[in-house]
Amino acid sequence: MNKELLHYNGIKPLIVVLLFITALQGVAILLQAKYLAEGVTSLFYLGIESTFVESLGFFTVAFVSRYLLVWLKDKLVYQYAEKTTSIMRKEMLTKLFTLGPRFAKKQGTGELVTLVMEGVSQVRDYLELFLPKVVAVLVLPIIIWIYVWSLDVKSSVVLAASLPILIMFMILLGLVAKAKADRQWKSYRVLSNHYVDSLRGLETLKFLGLSKSHEQSIAGVSKQYKKETMSTLRVAFLSSFALDFFTMLSVAIVAVFLGLALIEGEMLLGPALTILILAPEYFLSVRELGSDFHATLNGQEAAKSMKRILEEPLLIEEKEWELSNWSNEDELQFNHLNVSHHKNEGRILKDISLRIKGKKKIGIVGESGAGKSTLIDVIGGFLQSDCPAIAINGREVHHLKNRAWQRQILYLPQHPYIFFDSLANNIRFYQPNASMVEVKRAADQAGLTELIWDLNDGLEENIGESGRELSGGQAQRVALARAFLEDRPVLLLDEPTAHLDIETEMDIKERMLSLFNNKLVVLATHRLHWMKEMDEIIVLHDGRVVEQGNHQELMKKRGKYYELQQIQGGRTL
Amino acid sequence: MKNGKGWIYPYIQENKKLIMITVFLGLLTVLSATLLMFTSGYLISKSATKPETILMVYVPIVAVRALSIFRAVSRYIERLMGHNVILNILSKMRLRLYKMIEPEVLVMESKFRTGDVLGVLADDIEHLQDIYLKTIFPYIVGFCLYLLSILALGFFSFEMAGWVALHLFVIVVLIPLLSFVATKRKIILYKQGKKALYQVLTDAVLGISDWVFSGRQLQFIEAYEHKERELILTDRKRRSFNRIRNVLSQLVVAGLVLIIIIWAAEQHELGLLPVTFIAAFVLIIFPITEVFLPLSDAVSQLPRYQNSLERLESFGNNRPSEIQALKEFTSTKEIERIAAEKNVKLDFKQVTFTYQSGKMALKDLSFTLNQGEKLVLLGPSGSGKSTILKLLLGIFIPNRGSVSLNGIPASHFAKDSSKVISVLNQNPHLFDTTILNNIRLGNLNATDEEVYWAAKQVKLYDYIQSLPQGFSTQLHESGMRFSGGERQRIALARILLQNNPIVILDEPTIGLDPRTERDLLENMFHVLRGKSILFITHHLAGISPDDRILFLDNGKLIMNGTHRQLLLENERYAKLNA
Repeated sequence: MNKELLHYNGIKPLIVVLLFITALQGVAILLQAKYLAEGVTSLFYLGIESTFVESLGFFTVAFVSRYLLVWLKDKLVYQYAEKTTSIMRKEMLTKLFTLGPRFAKKQGTGELVTLVMEGVSQVRDYLELFLPKVVAVLVLPIIIWIYVWSLDVKSSVVLAASLPILIMFMILLGLVAKAKADRQWKSYRVLSNHYVDSLRGLETLKFLGLSKSHEQSIAGVSKQYKKETMSTLRVAFLSSFALDFFTMLSVAIVAVFLGLALIEGEMLLGPALTILILAPEYFLSVRELGSDFHATLNGQEAAKSMKRILEEPLLIEEKEWELSNWSNEDELQFNHLNVSHHKNEGRILKDISLRIKGKKKIGIVGESGAGKSTLIDVIGGFLQSDCPAIAINGREVHHLKNRAWQRQILYLPQHPYIFFDSLANNIRFYQPNASMVEVKRAADQAGLTELIWDLNDGLEENIGESGRELSGGQAQRVALARAFLEDRPVLLLDEPTAHLDIETEMDIKERMLSLFNNKLVVLATHRLHWMKEMDEIIVLHDGRVVEQGNHQELMKKRGKYYELQQIQGGRTL
Repeated sequence: MKNGKGWIYPYIQENKKLIMITVFLGLLTVLSATLLMFTSGYLISKSATKPETILMVYVPIVAVRALSIFRAVSRYIERLMGHNVILNILSKMRLRLYKMIEPEVLVMESKFRTGDVLGVLADDIEHLQDIYLKTIFPYIVGFCLYLLSILALGFFSFEMAGWVALHLFVIVVLIPLLSFVATKRKIILYKQGKKALYQVLTDAVLGISDWVFSGRQLQFIEAYEHKERELILTDRKRRSFNRIRNVLSQLVVAGLVLIIIIWAAEQHELGLLPVTFIAAFVLIIFPITEVFLPLSDAVSQLPRYQNSLERLESFGNNRPSEIQALKEFTSTKEIERIAAEKNVKLDFKQVTFTYQSGKMALKDLSFTLNQGEKLVLLGPSGSGKSTILKLLLGIFIPNRGSVSLNGIPASHFAKDSSKVISVLNQNPHLFDTTILNNIRLGNLNATDEEVYWAAKQVKLYDYIQSLPQGFSTQLHESGMRFSGGERQRIALARILLQNNPIVILDEPTIGLDPRTERDLLENMFHVLRGKSILFITHHLAGISPDDRILFLDNGKLIMNGTHRQLLLENERYAKLNA
């Protein structure tokens, strides 16, 4: 039924144990029915006698053992599911960190977090619900059926015939429902999204003067949604209707056959009653499996998505190499570097050859989509080339994902992330042991003095999500303070100021420039005013390096760089 | 669930009849299953007495068959009815939430306004439907069944009914209650823990590059796993409790079987109960207890809805205090007349506005915007630019001074401001419908030709026509293929159809690259000729030499003049021209 399931670690021994316990449970069910029937029968023929009391005693023992076995089964499965999903979660986390920010951005943060949090519990539910139930379906009907067969062949034929009919109808009606749902899917999706879409767009509706009249549209769509949902449900519920119908009908048929056999004297009351008690039990496991079917679907989906991520290819494995702190002697080289984000996608960086030697300031410019951020990510060690096109001090590698390199880098993105923690802890993120005096100094250097004054608890106030929210400029200053505190020799900046208002931008720029001294700085931006401060400018166009030089040289050249300057200059006379 | 009243109780009240029918059908389902077993038991017992003819058991035979069919049918109808009620309630709740948000959407804290929070509220409502299906309906059915069983038993013996009532009380009321009390704290702790972990993990994924560069990722995973283990421990305790509870509940069922059978035996000895009924009584215990057993779980799940309820309620209570009840309004007709004249003079006279928190947003601001003029409001974030927008739309009323359109206070226009003023902000929403309909939102009466005209104006016509479905392309199916610049153009096309005399551009180009920004602004100013434009921005892109600039800082006007003038005369301004 589900081969994926068998691939989980340690699941086979568990299934064997479950099969065994379930078989025992099946025996307990038989005994429970047998002794209950015997008790009633002895009462019927003999009145209150020792056999009556005895039977009741055995019944109670069988009944209690049955549920103790269920308890044991649940406990074992729970433990297994918990352990398996814990390992799964840890693997996911490790993998996410290995895959890095680019992957997280592509998949969507919310989606990944939901997958780790919800997906893992869905898989756990799936294992917990599905495993014991599927084993029960495999074992219990057979045990019960064999016993019924030994008591009365006619009843066993009814039961044997009804189960496949029942399952067939369930599947058939399930397919009809699915076909109907598929047909309606398009309009269904629009209808069910309509409400959230309306709320998200409420501001826009308000500006357009449509927000009031939209109430009617919501009411109308709700009505339509209800109509369509109900028409789908009418079909969807048919499959459980079939389940109920055939279960009940075959219990009724068995009862009638038994009655007739009793009248004819072909049978005794005891076995007849046993069969009647067992008949609903015979169907119980199938009914239980059916009722949780949807929950298990979610689990299977989640397991699949996680597996996809766990199988996501990593960067090519390379031996760790050593590198001392970046000095003027060190050299990073790209020789005909080609980079694509994904195996089957086109190349983003094409045939790039560059030499970066020693400590200097390098600007990367180009229009959107030219490959600026991609180049920064290559230098940061998050992307690789197909062949060892990168050389660091002559050592050829596929990528720069290496401890010795990455621990020298500090990265300032356009939207630096502020953790939900105190301002001080945010600043000392890279230096958890930094003293308050050091933190304060870094904060002052980054221009956070005013903000600290503003906050009731100063440096101790919580910021970030669910704390005090910072403006873009303030967040950038926090990142800058981190950089001042953690004095690393290589700085990567990706569009650090484009979203800020000009005055904030200028202030942060000046502070950043003081940080740039005596470092290797690589700054990608479309804000060209930065370029006058750079020792070297790399102009990218469509993934290629089209020009290289300093501001004066490139302006003189009247090429791509000049053109970019014109676009920005055009707006200021 | 005392504080949940607002979002649950009224809906039960309102749908009383339908809920009663659903519950009735639920009971019918259980009863027919019970009667089926009862009749079957009677049938074979009667047969065992070897009656003379088959006619003696003819009635039970027919009954058994009829009941088996009846049970499946009534279950089917019950489920449909239940969902019908839920969908009714759902649509009522949705409308209510919408009506709550609608008047305040422009003044909500930006934190609230982001689509995500609203999406969460919508999910909360969705989530609440489970409380009916999984807890409320089953419990009412269970409790009614409890009463009915005891009543039925009362016909045979008062004493016995009393004993069974007490016995069943344990699984109908006592164990559910106990399990609610015992697991409530654990469920809440678990939910809180989980929420905190969500936060930590979201933080970690968003700040992933910081973790990688800091080399502390292993440390993070350790810390995370540690917290997760605590959570697992709480869950483990709850689950272990549940398992034991389930065994105990089954013991109660076993006890019930014994009580009934012994009672039946005694009754039979006394000659009060025909022997043929003994099996019948024993057999009905299982279908009946099958209804009672899940009640514990249903009840102990209640704390799970707490968060959703709390969020919905706190949302209702957190109303921004800046909006005042407006009394005077200019009639819609009058406003339409003014708009149609296309000659509106906008006037800010010494406007001062202070937030309830005491934060001064604007101080003594004056300016005039005549029809067809362009005015640039420049300044860093927090300088009061967005307050001006709200004053203009009449949502806020100045503490001192006046904001007026053709001499009429802006607040008199509040209801119909969209007939005079168009707004293009950073994030115009594109709705999940066709491109045609999206543009037409500017004016619902616009013909297709007018929509095409607007699309041509914003230079999107050819692109849209090149799509396989053209203007009928569904927006979300196109895989969000519209870039930031194109989205703004669609919004601009809407504004062209809206055709108002005043247009406010509220930082519409944030996040666009310089070339897109320049092209978009050029296009905007070109197609909006003749309209009054208030251009709110924080940098100098799109500003021409003769544009009038108001530079705001901390709510105060600190520069005023044309771009050309300010560049020459003002050092601070010249510095901005980087």
